[in-house]
Amino acid sequence: MNAAALLSVNGLSASYGSAKVLFDISLAVAPRSIVACVGRNGAGKTTLLKTIAGFIKPTAGTVTAGDRTLIGLPPYDVARLGVKYVPQDKKVFSDLTVRENLELGSYATRDYNWDPVTTYFPKLKVLMDRKAGYLSGGERQMLMIGRAILGSPQVLLVDEPTEGLAPSIVAHLKNVFRELSKTAALVIVEQNLPLVCAIADKVYALSDGAIVATLSGSDEIRVDQCERFL
Amino acid sequence: MDTSLLFSGFIFGLSIGSIYFLMAIGLSLCFGLMRVISLDQLLYYSVGAYIAYSVSLATGSFGLGLIAAVAVGGVVSLAIERMVFRRIYERDLTFSMITSFGVLLGGVGVIKFFWGLVPRPVPLPFSAQVDLLGTDVPAYRLLVVAVAAAVYIGIWLFLNRTVTGKAIRAGIESVEHVEGLGINVARLFTTTFVIAGTLSALAGALHAPLIMVDPHMGLEVLAFVFMVVIIGGLGSIKGTLVSAFIVGQVVSIGSLIYAPLAQVAPFVIMLLILLVKPTGLYGSALLKK
Repeated sequence: MNAAALLSVNGLSASYGSAKVLFDISLAVAPRSIVACVGRNGAGKTTLLKTIAGFIKPTAGTVTAGDRTLIGLPPYDVARLGVKYVPQDKKVFSDLTVRENLELGSYATRDYNWDPVTTYFPKLKVLMDRKAGYLSGGERQMLMIGRAILGSPQVLLVDEPTEGLAPSIVAHLKNVFRELSKTAALVIVEQNLPLVCAIADKVYALSDGAIVATLSGSDEIRVDQCERFL
Repeated sequence: MDTSLLFSGFIFGLSIGSIYFLMAIGLSLCFGLMRVISLDQLLYYSVGAYIAYSVSLATGSFGLGLIAAVAVGGVVSLAIERMVFRRIYERDLTFSMITSFGVLLGGVGVIKFFWGLVPRPVPLPFSAQVDLLGTDVPAYRLLVVAVAAAVYIGIWLFLNRTVTGKAIRAGIESVEHVEGLGINVARLFTTTFVIAGTLSALAGALHAPLIMVDPHMGLEVLAFVFMVVIIGGLGSIKGTLVSAFIVGQVVSIGSLIYAPLAQVAPFVIMLLILLVKPTGLYGSALLKK
């Protein structure tokens, strides 16, 4: 595996009970790069992110961030080590205000500088005192990403960030991901292939829990190439 | 019915509702955050009453007994959380129910070993009566109501004004998302459990002078406390307060009208409320297993 990788996954396997869902996955994420995972529903993309983030215990393999192994750590320790997971469900803490949601994002790292969040998502500035339950889908996604980038994580694991969002918000997120990749590495699970092809430095295609293709460079990362795996 | 008697009944209902509230708040928070049914809270209630009895007997001060009860309740609940619950948080809901019932029964056995089977009286710390609207009301019952009100305000401030409290509220919606932000949920679970145990012990100590303290006192209030939690809505502090008030009044006023009614009426109220609002008065549909 790439020695310069910020995040390395080697021979990772995972299962839900007796059902194996990930088979010998290996991937490397370089610093300040965007890696995309594509594949059909049920290919194991979300399971892969959740296993890296510590929510699912792998049955085999290793995950390292820098020189630290993440295997066996609870999710909150993985997050504290700078590997943050943004789930696809757009679930914010609806009973809490936007400000309180961000406070919780700052809680573990004690990073109360919210300037990056309000710079990427100016809309959140005017929504600070609104209960998160009243936000639109796009605003929720902004809040979830905003919450996650507090504390300057090294790696962001983002699961289906544009699912169900308006094109204007998708375009905005595309720019945000590009900006974020200047300071952190991103692993994005995404079905929106034009977005993937516009921002990804490397694409891993998954099928039935295994990596079936790795694409890199603008010659290979094209919508028609990626479509073969959906 | 005599107005004075009715008013006395109202105050009695407020005080009994306050005891239910202090016990139910812990059960409700434990279910809301950790998704466990912590029947052992009833053990801390009994322990609180017995510690209040023993310390006030030894020192002559009910206040010291109350403080000791709260401290011991906190320590015992911390020990039980570390030794038992940490191993079962991941398990099914019924597992926690059965395990905590086992802890409760085991604890009752320990109480019997140390204090025996004979019910113990705890003298009222003061027997003063206060004239309220022309009715003499025992001042101690008003103290119980005041303590419950203070606890409600304290818990509200904790949950709404501290980051730990906000993390607990967030965890009631989704523990996984809280963990994903790097927040140590194991510590949140312990904090919540100890708060619950401490409040249950406080309830037991406060209730002790109003009843005879006996090893099965926890089991005797089990149904009422569960009703309070269910009517209020799991995980809702406001709901628990309102529900405790309703159940307290139904038990109190019901017993004035026709004694057996006091036992049946709360169940009828619960069924009616659940028919209209299955999540309870203030329960959130967000709460899922």
